[in-house]
Amino acid sequence: MSLNSAKVLTCIQCGKCTGSCPESGKTAFNVRIIMRKRQFGRAVEEAIPWYCTSCGACTLRCPRDVKPSEVIIDVRSALVEDGQVPNSIQKALENTFVQKNPWGRSRAKRGEWSEKLDIEIPHVSETQSKRLLLTCCIQAYDPRCMVIPANVARILRKGGLEFGVLGEEEACCGNEIRRIGETGLFEELMEENIATFREHGVREIIALSPHCMNTLRKEYGSLGIKVSHYSETVAAMIADGSLKAHASYDKKVIYHDPCFLGKQNNIFDEPRSILKAIPGLEMLEFSRSRETSLCCEGGGGRMFYEAEGSYERNSVVRVNEAIERGADVIATSCPFCVMTLEDPATEKGLAVREVSEILMEVLG
Amino acid sequence: MNILVFTKRVPATQEEEIRVVDDGKKVDLSKVPFKLNDWDNYAVEEAVRLAEKTGGSVSAVSMGDAESDEVLRRAIAMGASDGFLIEAGIDRQDPNARATLALNFLRKEALPFDAIFTGVQAEDDQFGSMGGILAGKLGLPYASMVIGIDAFEKEHVIVRRELEGGLQERVKVSLPCVLAIQSGINEPRYVSIMGIRKASKVERKVFKAAEYQEGVQNMIEVERWTYPPTRGGATMIQGDADSICKELLGILKEKGVFQ
Amino acid sequence: MSHALIVAEVRQGQFEERNLDSIGFCSLLAKQAVLLAPVGGYAIEERVVDTVVRVAVEEALFLNPLNVIRIIGREFETRGKPDVIVFTSSSSGSELAAYTAGHFNLPIITDVSGFDKERFLFYKSYYSDKIFGEFRPAAGGPYVVTVRSGSFKEHALEKPAAASVETMDGLALAEGRAFMGYVEEEKGEIDITKADFLLSVGRGIGSKDEIPAYEALAELLKAVISGSRPVIDKQWLPKARQVGTSGKTVKPKVYLAMAISGAFQHIAGMKDSDCIIAVNKNAEAPIFQHAHYGIVGDANKLRDKFREILKG
Repeated sequence: MSLNSAKVLTCIQCGKCTGSCPESGKTAFNVRIIMRKRQFGRAVEEAIPWYCTSCGACTLRCPRDVKPSEVIIDVRSALVEDGQVPNSIQKALENTFVQKNPWGRSRAKRGEWSEKLDIEIPHVSETQSKRLLLTCCIQAYDPRCMVIPANVARILRKGGLEFGVLGEEEACCGNEIRRIGETGLFEELMEENIATFREHGVREIIALSPHCMNTLRKEYGSLGIKVSHYSETVAAMIADGSLKAHASYDKKVIYHDPCFLGKQNNIFDEPRSILKAIPGLEMLEFSRSRETSLCCEGGGGRMFYEAEGSYERNSVVRVNEAIERGADVIATSCPFCVMTLEDPATEKGLAVREVSEILMEVLG
Repeated sequence: MNILVFTKRVPATQEEEIRVVDDGKKVDLSKVPFKLNDWDNYAVEEAVRLAEKTGGSVSAVSMGDAESDEVLRRAIAMGASDGFLIEAGIDRQDPNARATLALNFLRKEALPFDAIFTGVQAEDDQFGSMGGILAGKLGLPYASMVIGIDAFEKEHVIVRRELEGGLQERVKVSLPCVLAIQSGINEPRYVSIMGIRKASKVERKVFKAAEYQEGVQNMIEVERWTYPPTRGGATMIQGDADSICKELLGILKEKGVFQ
Repeated sequence: MSHALIVAEVRQGQFEERNLDSIGFCSLLAKQAVLLAPVGGYAIEERVVDTVVRVAVEEALFLNPLNVIRIIGREFETRGKPDVIVFTSSSSGSELAAYTAGHFNLPIITDVSGFDKERFLFYKSYYSDKIFGEFRPAAGGPYVVTVRSGSFKEHALEKPAAASVETMDGLALAEGRAFMGYVEEEKGEIDITKADFLLSVGRGIGSKDEIPAYEALAELLKAVISGSRPVIDKQWLPKARQVGTSGKTVKPKVYLAMAISGAFQHIAGMKDSDCIIAVNKNAEAPIFQHAHYGIVGDANKLRDKFREILKG
């Protein structure tokens, strides 16, 4: 039994995990019961482990440090080794194996977003600072999300910060892969990425997705490389005056904390400080914000998996609340949150913007 | 049932922009990742399931460069008991040449089998013929586009062949036979990276293609590689609703989904 | 003039339309066309070939590769070897062609979609249809070809005289493979990944009330209904019909996308379809970048027109 699973024996079945879980109540997913079954070495019903969104709320709140999120990853690992993986997740894994991104898009085209820009971005090896801007797979390939790296690149350039990219040498960070339980594949991705970082002498990484930042910072071992989410970098640049808003953004903006940025890495204030620095912008908060932010259900492999039964998506709940509170825009700082929130938001006439998109509009 | 499955390592061209270089003499595959041919994945899975049900075994065979060992390891991770690599220096774009190489190998090495499985076609050359040619040369019963194996006895199997428009036909094929397996016949199991690593511990025997060259030659030749007439984005269908519908019908008929 | 041997595809008493591509191909090659066909009460347009050989076996036996080689063998004996043996590029055609090539040790080029007369080259698709290989047989003697449906039929022209009809009988038939019957698709729980033709609806159709009309159209077209995630979310269609990264990945021959905008996760679930036809009001809809054919217009109105035409 792995270390994580050994901790399961200290679980006192208090139920705080289930109480904080975004999937419990509306689906058959029950964290406490999964921990109970693991205590007795019982099998968990096949489909259930795949419902977890890896939001980390249970791990955050567990009084016994059982780390239920990790136990669930262990359960998934065993299923993966057994070949018992839902088809859609299998496809994502196989795509990642061949093309180094779960969407199966051509690796050779991973850097194309930076080639089509109005600014020239060097390869990180050609920079003095060896500061790497790392894109999430979805940002490299999805036209909707591609604007995020494009905007952040422009913003950093405006602020005079030197950086470079890896282009097609970049491989999926593996954060979702690890959460899906494919440990072997995660290790391969990690090894490949680390070797690439070393080859080019990378000293600092600015990640454009909280998911990438999370795994690089906490799961890639001691890299000796500083890893930040771009919101940290940009917030600092605003604070020291390198970036300044020139226009106003006269909208009511409600901020949605991404799980991998917020509750899992304690980055709550930096994205907010960016928004607060914009004249005209009125900041609103959800009733569940910061550590209690309601997971958008995009993480933990959920981009590639649907739970059984019909239930109300959290993204719909969020959008409804945003409208209730009178927001014009939902702002967030994670591409997965953007994707999951935008669908219901568009239907109800609400805009979803990544923080960099808003900032880009006012920098001038 | 003991089954030999032919597996091919192919370039994953679905997503890539493929370039012709050297004035049409070569296709540039240098930046394309490689993987197990999709159809062969289904074939291996079906063979493994059948072997499990009948208490037999599966051997994977691959003809290609040294890197083709990768697909053998994957087949073993899926349940094949061993793998044979026929290491070929030249890559022949001719299903006849490949089938003759396979034939010579099978005869010389006298590998026993109840059935030979191939995938219906390879993603790269799309000839869809190697299995049929091999069966013709061996003089064995053959069925392609196998979308289901309904029954198996000591002397025959009953399979379903996929025809057009959702129709299937059931045929009885005597053993030993050659079957070309169609994609969708099953849901291939997921093979984890750790599973493939474990499979590396099983020996894959390597043979040199040079030892099986009798009669192996290119019976067809490629003059040049070119691009098909470009589409460059969707062909827009214009006109009034009436003419649009008629044009749509024409397309559906051409694609064989509507009579 | 040299002659070409065409192995006709007759299935369930129908002389398949794609045989005309085999016939047209032979005209392009400027060869006398000798058509081999099984007995049966079906019609052949007898003016498009020069000779029809009615082989005295019924269609199921004719479509058996183990028998086809005997039929062709007899042809070699009686008329002599042809320059080329032509099959349709279909499930049966490809099967028979490969077995024939193997048995008689003949070169084979499959899925031919074009012919360059001057340089004597056949165009064959390669690498996910992104490249053409220009092939020709490397040596003399008969060669085998399968022709892609729709590629040559315009060259199948009427000849001045009707074809001469011959018969072939007294064939010893092979054992080793026997036809047992046809199987229609089971109407069980729907598996959209097995469908040849998907009619997929998106949020743009407007409401659940539009679904029955789409189902009626699908029935007329013999297509299977599927949908994008928002449609399933709204419960206009059940989950089993969802196409996308978190639903099913499909690769049908035809994917007809009605009022689907083409979000990333949806495209990922269907981009490998052979032929994507997209209908959307918005000319800028991302789906047009992945479609083979596009129609800018109202999907519901087009659906109604289509039904009208199909019923009339």
